[in-house]
This record gives sequence, C-alpha cells and structure tokens, in this order.
Amino acid sequence: MTDKPKNILDITGTVLNIQRYCSHDGPGTRTTVFVKGCSLRCKWCGNPESIRMKPEVSYDPNKCDGKKCSICLKAPFPEGGFYFVEGDDSKVKVNWTLAAGINQEIVSLCPTGALEMFGKTMTVGEVMDEVEKDTSIYRNTGGGMTISGGEVMLQPDFAAALLQEAHNRGINTAIETASNAPWSFLEKVLPHVDTMLHDIKLMNSERHKKWTGVSNERILANLKKAYETFPDTDFIARTPLIPGVNADDEHMLGVLEFIKPHKNVIDYELLPYHRFGLGKYDSLGVIYELDDYKTPSDEVVKRFQTMIDKAFGRELTTE
Amino acid sequence: MIIDVGHAGMLRHVAVNTGAGFVPGTNAIVMGAAIAGNRLGWEMTGIRDGFEGLLHPERYPDGGLITLDPGLIENLDPSTGGILGQAPWTDPLYEQVANADKNRKEEDLPLELLKRLNEKGIDGLISIVGGQGLGILHKIHLKGFHTVCIPRSIENDIASTAVSFGFNSALSITIDMLSKAYQAARSASKIAVVEVPGEHAGWIALQAGIAVRADVVLITEIPCDLKNVASRLKDKISPRRPYGLVVVAEGAKFDDSPKGQFVDPVKPIVPPIGAGKVAVSVATALQKMIDTEIYPLSIGPWARGGNPTATDHQLGIAYGAWAVKTLRASKNGVMVSFVPPDIKYVPLEDVINKVRTVSADSEFLKIAGALGIYFGNFSSKM
Amino acid sequence: MSTDTGQKRVAIMVGAGYIPGINAVVAGASLAAGKLGWELLGILDGFEGLLHPEKYPNGGLIPIDPQKFNIDPNTGSVLGQSSRIDPFNVRTINELGMVEEVDMSDELLTRLKAENIDAVISIVGGRGLSILYQLHKKGLNAVCVPRSIENDIASTSVAFGFNTALTFTIEMLDRARLAAKAAQKIAVVEVLGEEAGWIALQAGIAVAADAVLIPEIPVDLQHVVTHLKNKMSGKKSWGLVVVAQGAKIINPGKTEEKVSTLKASLSPLATSDSNSEFVIHKSGQVAQAVAEGLQLRIAEETFPMVIGPWVRGGTPSAVDRQLGVAYGAGAIQALEAGRNGVMVAFVPPDVKFVPLAEAINKVRTIPTGSMFFQVADSLGIYVGNKEA
Repeated sequence: MTDKPKNILDITGTVLNIQRYCSHDGPGTRTTVFVKGCSLRCKWCGNPESIRMKPEVSYDPNKCDGKKCSICLKAPFPEGGFYFVEGDDSKVKVNWTLAAGINQEIVSLCPTGALEMFGKTMTVGEVMDEVEKDTSIYRNTGGGMTISGGEVMLQPDFAAALLQEAHNRGINTAIETASNAPWSFLEKVLPHVDTMLHDIKLMNSERHKKWTGVSNERILANLKKAYETFPDTDFIARTPLIPGVNADDEHMLGVLEFIKPHKNVIDYELLPYHRFGLGKYDSLGVIYELDDYKTPSDEVVKRFQTMIDKAFGRELTTE
Repeated sequence: MIIDVGHAGMLRHVAVNTGAGFVPGTNAIVMGAAIAGNRLGWEMTGIRDGFEGLLHPERYPDGGLITLDPGLIENLDPSTGGILGQAPWTDPLYEQVANADKNRKEEDLPLELLKRLNEKGIDGLISIVGGQGLGILHKIHLKGFHTVCIPRSIENDIASTAVSFGFNSALSITIDMLSKAYQAARSASKIAVVEVPGEHAGWIALQAGIAVRADVVLITEIPCDLKNVASRLKDKISPRRPYGLVVVAEGAKFDDSPKGQFVDPVKPIVPPIGAGKVAVSVATALQKMIDTEIYPLSIGPWARGGNPTATDHQLGIAYGAWAVKTLRASKNGVMVSFVPPDIKYVPLEDVINKVRTVSADSEFLKIAGALGIYFGNFSSKM
Repeated sequence: MSTDTGQKRVAIMVGAGYIPGINAVVAGASLAAGKLGWELLGILDGFEGLLHPEKYPNGGLIPIDPQKFNIDPNTGSVLGQSSRIDPFNVRTINELGMVEEVDMSDELLTRLKAENIDAVISIVGGRGLSILYQLHKKGLNAVCVPRSIENDIASTSVAFGFNTALTFTIEMLDRARLAAKAAQKIAVVEVLGEEAGWIALQAGIAVAADAVLIPEIPVDLQHVVTHLKNKMSGKKSWGLVVVAQGAKIINPGKTEEKVSTLKASLSPLATSDSNSEFVIHKSGQVAQAVAEGLQLRIAEETFPMVIGPWVRGGTPSAVDRQLGVAYGAGAIQALEAGRNGVMVAFVPPDVKFVPLAEAINKVRTIPTGSMFFQVADSLGIYVGNKEA
C-alpha cells in the first residue's frame, strides 16, 4: 500500500497556534486552528509570522535570562545567530538572518523557553484533543472548529483529515481561505466544511497580482466552482478593506455581483484594515512589505455595509 | 486714487514693520530702508511683531521699538531671519476685548494705533506685507497716514508686481526638495505626490515642477480630473521608468470626483506628518486607479523656514531703499513693485483684493506643455 | 580558484535602499582595480543582475572600464538599486501557482563561478552585512564597504552615507528652527536613527536644539517638559526638540495600540523591552507621539515634522565623496593584500580591514561617556539621563 498513515488521527500538519473562544471566525464560539504557510504575499499582511511554511524561531525577550545563561551563544546554536549588545546584558538579541537555519532540537536547549519554534508539527489527534475541550461551548453557542491561517489549502490532506475527524465527533467545521490553490486541493477539503469564509481581495486581476503577488483568475474560478459543487455549504465572502487598494464602490459592486447568483453565499463581511501586525518590519526579513496603509473611515465602512445589507435584502435596523 | 495728506517728502520719522507669516530674510529690506532713510537724515524705527511692539510695549522688556541707527544696521545680517519678528495672525485694527458685562466685543483700534504712532512721532510707515496685510495697510492709509507697502509673498500672488519678496527663496527650496523627492521616488520605484506652497496661485508648483521635470503639476488655476491624471501617469510609467512625481499646489482644485472614485476621507492612524490634506487626498484617489505605490509628501513646513536666496537678498535691499525713495517723492498709499527692468509703485487700491495667478496664455504653461508635463486643460470648465 | 597574484575579476554590488553617492565608491574601486590591471564588473540591482539576467536586455553584469570611466561621482548609482537583496529568500511562484521564498544562494555562487568572478565587493550595512557574512561562510570571497546613514556599524568610525545625512539633517533643522521661531511654536523634528542617536545628537548640537531624544537613553517626557518650561520661561516662546526615529519614550501620555499577546511573543515582531517602554519603529510615529505627549503638558503649541523621507534623495556631501572613493579603493587593496571576508573600516587616520564576523551583531551606539553628551550638556540641551 502507500506509505500514508492508515489512521487519519496520525496525519500531521504545521500548526501555528490553537486559539480558543474565538467569535469572529464563523458561527458561535469557536476554536480556531491557525496553520502556517500562505500562498499569497499581500502587502498589507498583518500576520507576517504565518506566511512561511517552514517553522521559524520565535523569541520572547521577557523570558530571556540574559548573559548569565548565554547557552545560545555557543554551538549547536548557529554562529552569530544570537548576541549581546555591549552595555546591555539583560536580554539576548537575535540576528534573524543568521539564526534562520535553527531547528526544534536546538531551540529546545533554551532553558527559559524564550526561544521557541514558531509553528510546530502536530497530528490530527493532538489538535482534536485541544479542540474537544470546548465541545459543550460549541453546543451551547452553535460554534465549532475553524481552520485559519496562513492558508489552509497549503496542507489539504491534513486539513481534510482534521475537518473530517471534527465531523466524526459531531463538531461544526469552518475554514478561512484565500482559495489560491489547485481545485483538486479544494475538492479534497470542502466536503468536510460547513462554512467557508473566503477572501475576495480585489476583483481586478492585474491589481490582484500587484498587491498579493498572484493574479485572481484561479481564485474566482475556484470560488464559482465551489459555490456550484457544494450547494449545502455556507459561504461567506470577505474583503479586508484598504483605502487606496480596494475600499471603493467599484470593488463592492464587483463582489456583490459575483456572489449574487449563488444562494449559498449567505453573507459578505468587511474587515476594516487595522495596522495590527506592524512591528519592526525591517527585521522581519525580505518577504514582508508592510507600508503606511491606512484604515478606512467609519463613514465609508458604514456606507459599504449599507450596500451589502441592501444586496442581501436585510432590513435596516433603526434605533 | 492717491490721497494727498500733506507733503510726505518732509517726513522726519519712519517706521518699518512686517505682517503675519514667515518669509525668510526680511532683514535685507530693513537694511535697505534704514540705510536709505538714514542718508536722508530721517529717524528710522522698527516695530516688532507687526504692530505688537507699538500696541503692547509692556510685552517687550527690551522695548517694542527698535531704533534702526547706522550702528545697528552695520551689524545686521541681511542673509538671515527677521529682526522685526512676525505679526500674529490677527487684524491689529480690531481687538477682542471683554467689556464690563464680560461680553466679548470687537473694538476698532485704528485710532489707538494712530495715537501711538503720533505719540512716538512717527509720520510714515513702511510695511512688508502681503495678503490680508495689504488691506490693513490700506485702511491705515485711508485714515490719513503715510504708508508704503513692500510686497512679500512666497506664492508670488500679489498683483501688479512681477516678483514679491520671498518668492525666489520659496521657489529655490521647493526645487531643492522636489529634486530629492524625485530621487527618492526613483530609488523606491514609487510615485511621490508632493504638496508645495500655493494657496491662491500655482507659480511655485508650475515653475518648480518645470525645473524638476515633474510628470504632473496640479495648480489652483486649473481644476482637473484625477482620472486624466491617472491615465497620463499610466502612460508615462513603464518598467524602465517605474516611478513618478506629481506636484500639487496647496490650493489645487479638482473636478467633481466621478462616482466610485470619490476622495475617501481617510482617517489615517498615523497622519502623514507635514503632508497636507491635498497631497493625501490626491495620493489616495490616484492609488485607486494606479498600481504603482503612491505616497504623499509636503514641502509646506520646510519652505517656511530658512534663509533667503541671493536674489531675494538683493531684491529686499532694493525694495527697502525704493520704499524710502517713494516716500521721499511724496507718494503714499502705494506699493513698490518690480516690473523688470524697473522698480515702480502702484496705488494700494489697485493691489488689494486681486490675486496674481497663472493665466491661460502663460509662457510657463507652454513650456510645461512642451516638456510633456500634464497640468490639466485650461479650457475645462470650472 | 582565486589566486593571490595575477589578474582578477572583481564584481561590485550595492545593498538595498538608496544612498547618495554610490558612484564615488564605484569610481574608487574602478580606478584602483584599473591600476592593478584587474577587471571590475558591476552587478545591477543588488544580486538581481546575476540571479535574473533575463530581466536585463543589456546584461545584468556590466563592465566598468576605468579607461572610459565617465561616471559622475556626484550623482546616482551605476549599479542601479534594489529593494531586496537576500539570495537566501528569493520570492518565486511555484508550479502550484503559490508564492514561496526559495534559497538561491547556491545558484548565485554558481553564477559567479561561471562568470569567473573571484571576489565581490558589497556596499552594505545592517541586514546586508549578515547576508554577506552568510555568503562568505558558503565560500564567497567578499569585501564589505560599510554604508549606513545612521553610522551604527561597529568597527568603523564613519560609515559611508553618514556625513551626507548629517549635513542634510543640520540644514533641515535650521529651517525647522526658523519656522518654529517664526510661528512661536515648539517643533518636534524626527530624524533618522533607529538604533543609534548619532545624527540626532550631532545635528541637535549643531543647531543648539532644546532637547535631543535618542535610542540610547530612554526619556520621560515629563522631564523634557520641565526642561522646556525652564528654557521658555524668559522671552523665548518657541522650541526645537530633535527626536531620533528609534527614541525610547517612557510615559508618552498615550498608550500604543496593544499588540496581541500571541504576536508579542513572536520572533520577528518582538520588540526589546516592549513591556516597559514605548517602542515605535515607523517613520513619523515618534515625532507624532512626542508632539502629542508634550502638548498634553505644555501651553505652547507643538508641531511634528519628519526629515526621514527627504534624506533618501540628494547628492553626497564633499566628505562622503572623498570617503566613498577611499572606501572603493580600500576594498581593492584588501583583495590585493589577500584579505577576504572583511569589512573596510575607517579608523582615523587609517583604513583597516576588519573580519566580517567582528562587524556583525554589533551596533555602534553613543557610549555613555561620549564627549558629545558633555558638549550637549554645556549647551543646555536636554538629552535625558538626568534625575527627575
């Protein structure tokens, strides 16, 4: 037979983090499993730590013991990867270029846990143990499990197995995806999904390529096929609103027109852009290109929301 | 009409003051006026901070008036800031005072002002002003005081003179800064939208834009449609030249934004400091139509500091001296004006309420056109 | 493959970001190489000219011939410019249509070998220095010319680019001072200096600023206010505060948007001592924060200004032109002396060669006992470090 594990509980994937009690990633209160690795490079990305597929070292200076420890200055830690600045012995500093080659085994030598691998390999079973802790909450709130990212479609086998296992245990499932993947990947994952939250970042292909790194033809084709192939799945379209990029009427109208013929697209959500992950992006390495993006004004968001409510035939609530 | 209020040529004591807003190097004017006045045997006095030094001497421990004697003038540096300070942005002819009922009322002050001038024995006034200051000076003139105006405006928007004092300095720094912005845009492969001084007139934007070969110059006089700007920029930007420079005057106007491309009233988390509203609006609006990244910059705050250029230095001394000559020739209620190759004078009433703008047949527009700089279409409706 | 004698083929490249006067370094290297009978080639746009030659119809590797040398050392860069230069992380779209970063360092070394290039002179600083060191460890003969407008590279007294930035900053601060004086306000001007406060302090001294806030000394804005109030108690009713981009402000008066705990512990996003200090890393933010923080406690109007965006253009100062030519020639001398894996360092009055390993992971900050602090103090410039 194949060398694939027989039991789906043993299938592994790279997980960034598991966050409980999430309220914005699908219906009810949910546990969100963030997977690592993304297939786009949006210039406004607020989660740069989730972009690369391979595990990366993370450093929490608050836990570092400083010079008296100094374990990371010696082999097997990479030469020049960690250092002290003269006059400041309290916390080690990280040279992200030279520390890049580090692995889990070496990182585990850090006695205080200041160094950790960001992103770890987990089995479906391990993830489910965590997810199952809140089963009663899901039941009470209509919640469940959401796989977010990164990009869930980068690990289709793991995602499919995880979602299937959740269903086996009676847990509602959702995914958040940008849908930039071969259709065969979506086809593998979607049968196990109750709600799919998917981004439509830009309707114009050329501009999509400019801002995210790839054109959008395949994404839109995937979405259309998904709407048609999985009529029982709920779809929620989303747009991270960024003034100067997509916070305009043209985009809103384009998306509404695109989703309109499909009854299983139950909503269109706006995610006003917040400069959230902004930090010292110079040290993040070459792949991150955050710049001065701005948040859309409340007024604009409100106006767009009205357009959406109208398109979905919702009554305008008045005080 | 020039009101005759007696023989101004017989003046004995002339004061020099300056209006609101920063213009580099007014010392040159003070110097020119003082030297010329002292030679006539006149007493020359500087009033600090507009009329503040005269109206509120108690605020000035060293005195609100400065005697501009030859010793002081000899040591004055004509290439730096103003010994006279700067007037507040208020009309000295009106002052809000609280009356007995604690209600605020505006009090007309010209009588007080004239009284103070008379007390000090001042019988003539040379004012270095522009904009609102011209009107104030005209009112003082109508009260019967001998006045001469020296036009100062970094925008060069004062009518009846080819060059106002301060314009050349502002233009020079703007060109300097635009060159830097151009290089920065080039190294970053982005489009810079740079706001330059020019609330009422587009001279700085146009002349500086020509000097640095900007792609687009947007000025107050020619409202334009940003859609056309975007398409022009798209034409000019190529993989070989993946950057651009748009120069926008502070007062630039735009045709009614087409639907779906309205200028989003962005509420930036970090306001682009120093970048004026126009630069931000234009950059945001263009970004919706263009994929090359666009960023706003503003020269405004930087152009309002600094030292005068050699041209302004020279012009200042000439204006100062000519103002004295004008008073000596019994002309008053006038503005000295430079109409190459001559320095002349024109009645204040011909100057106030007028703005010197870029006209449709301006040579500069033809030059910009010949260089392929887009500035909109003058014939397009307001 | 390289020998210590005989003719060599040397390539020169420049790291990310614009810096005025790159041509001066190229000119120096070209003239020195020509004298030895060596060939000098320029790699365009970082390593792009070598990694992606297909993008360059006229070739990504250009010969720089001292005979025909007509490069103006005063302007621009014949080497082009690049926004990213890390050959270990080159962004590509893979066969599945997904974006990923791949390590092309081996390919780069192969390409250099194929072009018979013996050594590479790299005009870099900061991260570029670490990348160069990494390439050197993989076998690249590398010499670094240190460039940093902040002058924060260890082991050299003056990095290329610093003098130009300092000169320009002083010019701009003069303007800001006059503008503040004319407007009777307090100007808060942000200058470059993420890790080191050299520009802020030296320029602040030159224009006799009222306070200088630098990364080396976290300051409490309340102390700045006290100092400003003392200085402005007389007839002076305006002020000038110079703030380095990386200045650490305690007690800013306004709290920064909280970064989620998840992100706070993440590697690249973690900031040093983020629990106790207000750490800001974005151009303009610190000027804004300080201006707002001061405004809460002082009657005079404050206004923020930023020099950062303007420093990226312009022409090199006379000192940098001369330094650039010397650095270029020094790099060739290092190779001639058989040195590699070194950085050319200017330690007045000598030019020295320092191993790259000694230059990385060090930041040249202003030492506590610096003469500049004493000068600032005697001029009545507040730089922090004083008891409340």
